Amino acid sequence: MVYFLQEYFFNCFTRSASIILLSLSLLLPQLSNAAIPQKHEDFPQGVSAINPGSELWREVRQRDSAVTGISQVKGVETGVLINSRGGQWARFRIENPVKYAPMVLGVVFLVLVLFYVLRGKVGIEGGLSGQMVKRFTEYECIVHWTLAIVFLFLAVTGLILLVGRPLLIPLFGKEIFSLIASASKEGHNLFGPIFLVSLLMMLFSFVKRNIYEKGDLAWLLKGGGFIGDGHVSGGFFNMGEKTWYWIVILIGLVISISGLVLVSPNFGQGRLVMEISHLVHVFGAIILTAISIGHMYMGSIGTEGSLEGMKSGYVDINWVEAHHDRWAKECHENEMVISAEEYARLQGSKPDTAMEKEA
Amino acid sequence: MSERLERGLETLRGEIDGKVKSFFSSCVRCGICAEACLFYTETNDPRYTPIYKTEPLRKLWQKEYSFWGKLSSTLGISKPMTEADLADWEELVYDGCSMCGRCSMVCPVGVDISMVIFKVKHGLAKAGFSPEGLVGATQRAIDIGSPMGITMKAVRATIKHVEANTGLKVPLDVEGADYLALLSSNEIALYPEYLESITKIFDHAGVSWTLSSEAYEATNSGLQIGNKKVAGQLVQRVVDGAEKLKVKNVISPECGHAYTALRWEGPNFIGKAYPFRVVHILELLDELRDAGRLVTTGMEHERLTFHDPCSIVRRGGIMAQPRNLLQPLAENFVEMADHGAMNWCCGGGGGVSSNERAEELKLTAFNKKKSQIDALNVDAVVTACSNCRMVMEEGVEVNEMEVELLGLTEIIAEHLVEKRPE
Amino acid sequence: MIEYLIDGPLWYFALVVFCIGVLWQLASIVFARSKTDLSVARGSATGGAWRNVFSRFVPHHEIAPQIRIQVVAGYLFHLGLFALLFFAAPHVLFLEENLLGFGWTPMPHWAFIVSAQFAFLGLIMLWLRRVVNPVSRLISTLDDHVAAILTFVVMLTGCFALLEGSTALRLLHRFTVEIWLIYFPFSTLMHTFTFLPSRAFTGAWFGRRGIDA
Repeated sequence: MVYFLQEYFFNCFTRSASIILLSLSLLLPQLSNAAIPQKHEDFPQGVSAINPGSELWREVRQRDSAVTGISQVKGVETGVLINSRGGQWARFRIENPVKYAPMVLGVVFLVLVLFYVLRGKVGIEGGLSGQMVKRFTEYECIVHWTLAIVFLFLAVTGLILLVGRPLLIPLFGKEIFSLIASASKEGHNLFGPIFLVSLLMMLFSFVKRNIYEKGDLAWLLKGGGFIGDGHVSGGFFNMGEKTWYWIVILIGLVISISGLVLVSPNFGQGRLVMEISHLVHVFGAIILTAISIGHMYMGSIGTEGSLEGMKSGYVDINWVEAHHDRWAKECHENEMVISAEEYARLQGSKPDTAMEKEA
Repeated sequence: MSERLERGLETLRGEIDGKVKSFFSSCVRCGICAEACLFYTETNDPRYTPIYKTEPLRKLWQKEYSFWGKLSSTLGISKPMTEADLADWEELVYDGCSMCGRCSMVCPVGVDISMVIFKVKHGLAKAGFSPEGLVGATQRAIDIGSPMGITMKAVRATIKHVEANTGLKVPLDVEGADYLALLSSNEIALYPEYLESITKIFDHAGVSWTLSSEAYEATNSGLQIGNKKVAGQLVQRVVDGAEKLKVKNVISPECGHAYTALRWEGPNFIGKAYPFRVVHILELLDELRDAGRLVTTGMEHERLTFHDPCSIVRRGGIMAQPRNLLQPLAENFVEMADHGAMNWCCGGGGGVSSNERAEELKLTAFNKKKSQIDALNVDAVVTACSNCRMVMEEGVEVNEMEVELLGLTEIIAEHLVEKRPE
Repeated sequence: MIEYLIDGPLWYFALVVFCIGVLWQLASIVFARSKTDLSVARGSATGGAWRNVFSRFVPHHEIAPQIRIQVVAGYLFHLGLFALLFFAAPHVLFLEENLLGFGWTPMPHWAFIVSAQFAFLGLIMLWLRRVVNPVSRLISTLDDHVAAILTFVVMLTGCFALLEGSTALRLLHRFTVEIWLIYFPFSTLMHTFTFLPSRAFTGAWFGRRGIDA
């Protein structure tokens, strides 16, 4: 694959650097006048000759970069009559991203299933206490879920566009798939910029607490609790969460920018830029999707007490002790811990009704 | 269905008019009203969300007026309203709402939430789901003539006291006077300086006025509990008293809900327009000041602020007058944050202060006022409602704050010039 | 067959239900009995009503900081939806050909897409807030969620059909629109219209009392 990429980009660059310019609009009629046989009599019978059409065809295809077209239409690559590398690109796409993307996601999924079967839900020593601490504001929860919803939508529609042909056509048939693909393409394009906006909201609302600090390295060395005695020290966000945050932000930005390049081909970008963007986009998206499957696992069935933090913004103090002991100290010092009853009241749970009180 | 539930629902049904329909139809449950309500902001309990307090009426509307409600009751799959649907709201509506009307100001679709809450009160009161404190006050208002059980004897004692202090005559039952002054129970029992002040001011301004031995009480427990019949009865007393003395104007005292009851709701409670004008004491004083009949001298040197009583300012429309009156007398006047129509309630309006059960909640709600007052670093808070004043005095005492509570009328009386230039 | 149904009878049925339903609901508000207020007015009720209809578009500065999410997301959604509903080229053309007989200048395609993106972002955030915030969660009814999700689905099918190249996708969008139209008069979606009488009633009340609400 590496070899292919080298060769692929080398070809692209040499072609771009070629300096022989011919006007296709002028050349084509001349070539055709000269080369296309007018009558059968023009060719002497029985003499073997190279088909002049093949010469023409080679020029038109611009295969060896010997000929570059010129058009009065000013624009990117308007001098290319037939993109001879289109087939190459299509093959490359089918043989690489389309093939490996589902494999990567499948492997991640299997690993998680295996992990769940072997280790089960990561519990909290002593279980949940019911006493809660406010971890996220309402706005932060909303930003998180907005990003999550938009991301999931883009992941699904994106995967349909990437691997839908081999996977869905056998299931639904070509006609239905064409609808799904068309819908996915429009949906994907429209939601892309929304992803960027929610990503920026995520960037601004969480960035302060996600700057690496002393103690984060220890977390890394212990493998986030998977290596050693299992207890790792963490602040408001631990090393793993911070890293996930920066992965989301950085890869998210890469996907967004490459996506914008793809969705608006009217800023002078040619095929090469589009192809590179496509690869970067797919590569980033698959990585982000793969890790986010892990994130979804750990945030829900993987770890006891995590989901609540993003549902109500409150987390159990025992959960904080287990995963964020340094922040737990702060919580105790600042008397942020509230009782289960107080938590229920803040969430609007109905207290004993007047009727019940009477009874 | 129990008889009391049927009574309550019947009353609620009678409250569903075009307004209520448009309100419930347009409400999108955005929850903005919660942010305007001090019972929510000070407790963070979502159940105190203003629009949630209207649930009994909304449920009834949903079941009997909306398409889905009618459909499911036709199909026999809707659960009927139960007593709990009313009983469970008693605490929210009576203890957790001071009828301050701040929610009605912020609703993006324009629902007058506090008006709907009043309608809910009406239903709850008819079904007998009202707090004992208010029931008792209402009973006293009917039997004795005052929710605090103050009789004419006590009024006479106050009059005597005022006359001794001022050397002026307090007119009682004077037929044909221009103005009939009313008092709130508080002003008789706790703040006799109000009567003393108006006696001085009216003498100074040459106002022809009187008290009535039949209609002296301005407050209206019927309004607070939500019983329109009782409210009408109490308003009728005032109307009868005023008609008997043939006065042209009735003065609503420094009391918030009394102004609502007399000025705005009274004619609707009794079903006919008044033959006299109702004027709030602040309106009258401002009119006198405008006419040059009220001349003051000197200034208060303390740092002062003004607490806008909800029923007088936000729900009563008397916003400029207190400022016109106070600012010339206050050297060091500061406005409170959110003053005027968006001012925060003291926490004890709408009958909350007469409802002993709500004491703790009322003091929690007062934290809002406390933080506002603390932020200003003032020596005294001036107000124009004896109930606000009483509630805040209690809050100041409990929280050990160093702030004095003053009545506006009283300050004016202290600054009158010896002799008004003719 | 399905095409005929969606483009024909079901469309007309939805339209009739929508129009009659909305008119009926509005009539039941406007013509409901109401008692005349016997107190002496201090200001003009009509003036107050008009003022309130417009003044409520802007939140009071005293409360604005606390409700920033609702205001921003609310405006994103409502303005975006309004723009794409009435100024997107396919919608203008549809209204011209099927209902009105006249059209107006639609907005450019990019503006259509941007307003759709605003609308989606706003709607998602508003609905999430409804679920996340304890207050809205407590007071929300099934209707609120159905209305939000249905509107989202209508917008989504519209987005799917953006290419305007497939009859099936167009029909899917139109079908969801028809369901939405039928649901409209019997749901909280009616606030589209009833916010006007609601604001006017309250404004009139304040106007009578001489209060600028």
